[in-house]
Amino acid sequence: MKGLSQTGAWAVTRMRGLSRLLAVAWTVLAAAVRPRYWPPPVRNVLARQILFTGYEATRFISMIALLVGVAVVVQAQVALAKVGQSGLLGPILVMTIIRELGPLLTNFVVIGRSGTAMTTELANMKVNGEVDVLDAQGLDPFLYLVLPRALGAAVSIFCLTVVFIAVSFISGYLMGLLVGANTGNPDLFLKSVFGAVTPADVMNLLVKSFVPGLLMGTICCVEGLGVGPAVTEVPQAATRAVVRSTAALFITSALVSLVTYL
Amino acid sequence: MSIVLDMREVFVDSQPPYDGGLRGVSLRLAPGELCLVRVPAQEPVTMLADAASGLLEPQAGAVLFEGRVWSSCSADEVAAARSRIGRVFERAGWLSNLDVDENITLGRRYHARRAPDAALAEARALAQELGLDGLPAGRPAFVDRETLCRAQWVRALMGAPALLLLERPGRDVDAGLLEPLVRAVNRRREQAGTAVLWIADAREALDDSALRPTRKCAMEDGVLRPLDER
Repeated sequence: MKGLSQTGAWAVTRMRGLSRLLAVAWTVLAAAVRPRYWPPPVRNVLARQILFTGYEATRFISMIALLVGVAVVVQAQVALAKVGQSGLLGPILVMTIIRELGPLLTNFVVIGRSGTAMTTELANMKVNGEVDVLDAQGLDPFLYLVLPRALGAAVSIFCLTVVFIAVSFISGYLMGLLVGANTGNPDLFLKSVFGAVTPADVMNLLVKSFVPGLLMGTICCVEGLGVGPAVTEVPQAATRAVVRSTAALFITSALVSLVTYL
Repeated sequence: MSIVLDMREVFVDSQPPYDGGLRGVSLRLAPGELCLVRVPAQEPVTMLADAASGLLEPQAGAVLFEGRVWSSCSADEVAAARSRIGRVFERAGWLSNLDVDENITLGRRYHARRAPDAALAEARALAQELGLDGLPAGRPAFVDRETLCRAQWVRALMGAPALLLLERPGRDVDAGLLEPLVRAVNRRREQAGTAVLWIADAREALDDSALRPTRKCAMEDGVLRPLDER
């Protein structure tokens, strides 16, 4: 009986946490579509966030994409040529890179690179009383701290995913040429890939990159701002943020795949 | 005359991150008034300022700013009201990921939606009035304490506030350097009707004839008692 009540209490706590998180994410979305009401400093923070999370991660994402391109695209080209099914190259690449690997790996990299930084920064601000300084001046911590970070992360991840896909295809094609795989001419390759892209794939890409990005930004902000006065809570918050962001990424990704392709 | 700050029998228990509490604090400040509160060196004062600016909900009593109880205001009203409060913080006080000049102008750019250049020009003029050689540059962690303390004066006076909460504004500067602040505060009291709560150490040398407090109090163990009234 005790075990049952403990399980119930655990489930209720989790559900409350989840509903609070979704409420914050929804508020971010609601505020994001009304940029007219953002005070100018919020725009500055958003621009900085996109710079740090998006622009500065471009090189690293491109490098990962290059390696993925070499590994996946070349293998697909070679394997399909061997069985005389080169025409399936487009659908297979769309399925692996555009639908799954691109959004997943990009989100992973940003969670590790920017999610932890975001959580640590906000948690330190909370511990050091900097959030109170904002409050005392009448600056809304949600508007000034949470909105630009969560929105910036979502926009950055979407853009980085597009970069990832482009670089992996280009690198895969070029590597295929180098190793003598039957890549055909670039026009044919592009036609084979983009011919296999459906509107559902575009929607899938948009949702799989934007939604987990928004959730990641929200989770990291909520965890960062949720710390108490002890500095020892900062690394714990960062760990929780990474674990929860990763879980949100996989759950969202699986749900979107189910909804889109079943 | 309307009351700017009205604290009525405010009780707040000791709670992290604060030390100590408030026990029956009552204080009324009309426009242009200055209340000088003397506190022992070890007495924490952040709680008093936080309660006055509505950041801390009292367990008993009420705090009114410009006639409205903080707890009855909406989030937007609270934000707008706090934009009319200038404050020198005893602890923290700075956002570490912004430069000092960005910190100083942040409130004005946020609330008044002033262009960065206009807010900077206002801050530079204030810095000059307060005896600083321009605005300090760089992150707060790389600026010396005395300059940071005086930069807090600049930020507190931005935008002609209705209320000034000065938590030990002279703690990191020589007594002689306080003179421009006293002059600037008095000018705003006379011209803009700014009410001032000036919290100073009990032993801090302050020239009362220059400061011209309308009320003097002492605070110890969370109890505020009047010293004399003018």
